[in-house]
Amino acid sequence: MKNRLKALRAERDWTQEDLGKRVGVSRQAINALETEKHDPSLDLAYRIATQFGLTVEQVFVNPHGS
Amino acid sequence: MNAIPAVNPESANRKYIIRTVLFMGGYIAANLAALSGAFDDITPRGALAFALVVSAPILGHIWAFLAWIRESDEFVRGIATKRFVMAGGITLAVSSVWGLLEIYAKTPHVSAALVVPLFWLAFGLVSPFIRSSH
Repeated sequence: MKNRLKALRAERDWTQEDLGKRVGVSRQAINALETEKHDPSLDLAYRIATQFGLTVEQVFVNPHGS
Repeated sequence: MNAIPAVNPESANRKYIIRTVLFMGGYIAANLAALSGAFDDITPRGALAFALVVSAPILGHIWAFLAWIRESDEFVRGIATKRFVMAGGITLAVSSVWGLLEIYAKTPHVSAALVVPLFWLAFGLVSPFIRSSH
């Protein structure tokens, strides 16, 4: 699933490890999300969006259109 | 929608390593004792008990791996489960084909105890090809 994780992380100067710790997953999981090797569960998508202070749709591109 | 508790990947990894070291330590110690002749004069009932004791760490390690999957985050859980299922399928295929070869083609007998190493060999072989949870 396409997303803005890498850019949002960079804006905050967070490493993958930092974001992983904030949302309770491994660095590998964050890397897999950024490289589209993993689609997040709804729960994880909400946790990540909350960390960035954004909505899920502002972080992850809706694959089914707008 | 209820929040799913966040996992602690480092804790899951640490517990898996400790459990694996303990189980494999027991397995190696029991086999070394047997190889050194400590159980050479064992009774048939004792041999049965000893075989079950040696098997216990193998079962323990399988439990430790499944517990690690359960305690890991969703991405690690996804790819580890896919690898586990694929390795299980390969192991079933190879062991059943070999078993039938033994029955019908009289190929050399291979101990069923080698199924576990075969499974982990298959797990290692498929892992580089399963890197996505999709």
